[in-house]
Amino acid sequence: MPTVELSHITKSFGPLKAVDDASFTVEKGEIFGLLGPNGAGKTTAIRVLLDIFKPDSGTTSILGGPMTEAKKDHIGYMPEERGLYQDISLERCLIYLATLKGLTPAEAHQRIGAYLEQFDLAEHRNKKVKELSKGMQQKAQLINTLIHQPELIIIDEPFSGLDPVNTQMVKDLLRGQREKGVTILMSTHQMHQVEELCDRLVLIDHGKVVLYGGLDEIRRQFSGHAVTVRSSAALPSLPGVERIEQHNGSARLNLLPDTVPQEVLRALVERNILIEQFEIASPTLDEIFINVVTRPEA
Amino acid sequence: MTKFWHVFRHEYTRHVFQRRFLFALLSVPFFILFMIGMIFFMVGMETDTTPMGYVDHSGILARGMTAPPPSAPNRPVPMRAFADEQAAEAALQAGEIQAYYVIPQDYAASGQAQLVYIKEPRYPARGQFYDLLLANLLADQPPEIAARILEGNDLVVRSADASQEASDENWFSILMPMFTGIIFIAAIATTSGYLLQAVVEEKENRTMEIMVTSVSPGQLMTGKILGDIAIGLTQLFVWSIFIVIGIVIGRNYLDFLRGIQIPWGTLALAVALIIPTFIMNAALMAALGATVTDSREGQQVSGLFMLPIWLPYMLIALIMESPNSPIVVAMSLFPFTAPLTMIMRAGFATIPAWQIAFSIIALSLTALGSIWLAGRAFRLGMLRYGQRLRWKEIFARGGAKA
Repeated sequence: MPTVELSHITKSFGPLKAVDDASFTVEKGEIFGLLGPNGAGKTTAIRVLLDIFKPDSGTTSILGGPMTEAKKDHIGYMPEERGLYQDISLERCLIYLATLKGLTPAEAHQRIGAYLEQFDLAEHRNKKVKELSKGMQQKAQLINTLIHQPELIIIDEPFSGLDPVNTQMVKDLLRGQREKGVTILMSTHQMHQVEELCDRLVLIDHGKVVLYGGLDEIRRQFSGHAVTVRSSAALPSLPGVERIEQHNGSARLNLLPDTVPQEVLRALVERNILIEQFEIASPTLDEIFINVVTRPEA
Repeated sequence: MTKFWHVFRHEYTRHVFQRRFLFALLSVPFFILFMIGMIFFMVGMETDTTPMGYVDHSGILARGMTAPPPSAPNRPVPMRAFADEQAAEAALQAGEIQAYYVIPQDYAASGQAQLVYIKEPRYPARGQFYDLLLANLLADQPPEIAARILEGNDLVVRSADASQEASDENWFSILMPMFTGIIFIAAIATTSGYLLQAVVEEKENRTMEIMVTSVSPGQLMTGKILGDIAIGLTQLFVWSIFIVIGIVIGRNYLDFLRGIQIPWGTLALAVALIIPTFIMNAALMAALGATVTDSREGQQVSGLFMLPIWLPYMLIALIMESPNSPIVVAMSLFPFTAPLTMIMRAGFATIPAWQIAFSIIALSLTALGSIWLAGRAFRLGMLRYGQRLRWKEIFARGGAKA
């Protein structure tokens, strides 16, 4: 049974259809990417999932059924818009929010102490939240998301405002959570992070699901009929190659429909071309994203 | 239930231990101290302690009786006897005395005396001379009769059912319900402001989204509203302690405080009205916080809610003159104006039981309706960042489908 399931969800605000018949599932123990351009309906989909908004139609299932008050204690949510009490100390703020997730104040105090050490925030525990930098607040928000050891983490733009060191720390942390069997639904614009972390993804545009599946499967789906060749020698014209495009020291060879990549490799070897790299051309997620959201029917 | 308690405790401690709350808490006792100080200062300024003179041709003042000492904050004015008018006049011209009385030989028969002054002396000095004269006129009477006459009369006006009473000595009791009402409403106004601010802040700093994915809107709102009421009751409790201390200390010095009797009936009425008013107002402020875009707008709109609650205070003259007039009765029954009108009316009239019952029931139902409204507005408006929620959306059928 999937940890999260959205089935034909539609949600409108006045004339605007924020989510339009969207369906996807998130399996237990995976990191799932929820992607889409600004205003695509990602946040609305998450809010519907969390029962903050009621859908106009469709059904949701989370941790095996409809959202309940008890399930809130098993979900860690870090929204897009960061939210911490600004006028109280960091430690007090985190303890209060942790108690709302079912921890006793003593448990919350103990766990927060360890997390503050891990996140390098221990010396700032008595500072008011508003006195912390954006990156520090981001880390505090992550502590708030993880403190009650949730089964499901829903996290929106987890890397925004973080320096490379902290970005790496958060990535390691998310991988660590996945290894523990925690399911992670991550919404982000940073495609290289999705490529690094996510097992599967869904791309939403104008409220509709336009891409959905495993990362490799989607890449294959969008890989054109081409190969990438890196060579110090100039490439001659080859049989079965429609055209050659140069890209940063490598060449993209677009193949004719009935040409297989092995034939091209054989032709290069036969011509004694020194080959440094030969691979099936695979688009980056960035390219796929731009391709999907800018095509006319998208 | 535990989460409601955490919300309640957080709301309470967050505001009660803040500087602005302590400032509001201490403002009333400081105001009372300031007012008492001003009374002492004004009365003290009124008493000119330059001696008063007298020329007694009747021999009455030679009987050697002394007047009872003046009550605080009045100060004693020395009385100086002169042998004749020339000596008294010379002292007056020299500024040694502020005025002098000439008591003629036939004073006992005529009751007429002459006061000579350059600038008319104020009442405290004249009053003390009258007391001296009276004490000596009563020198032949048995002490208890003399003391009773010196004490003077106290006219008590009592309502037919004996529930209301006022007298020269107990005049301040008439004003007690009015002060009680004002203090209660002031507590409501300040504390509901905290709740409004808390909800708007949670919207502004985006904490709301975290909150609603941790605790149910019902528990969140209940915790907030009860926390807010607890803050208000703390405020009232501390104010009451200061007021009681002020009265206990002040009655040693101020006559009008000696006559104060605690109006238990009015207090019970006030408590019965104030609790639903607290809930109604707190819920409305929470609803308002959920609908507005920022705290400044919230403060402006909250003024409109507080206006009807304060309206009876502006119409105080009408309530004092005609406490049972149709408009005042109507204000007693309308939930927003009822709390202050009822409490103020209690000082000037006997309120029929049905009106009290109607008012409390109407207020309680309005409080329940306000909680419903707050829950609906909260559900719809909590995530409307920078966008105002319209009231018609709240009341629209199916509007809670946020």
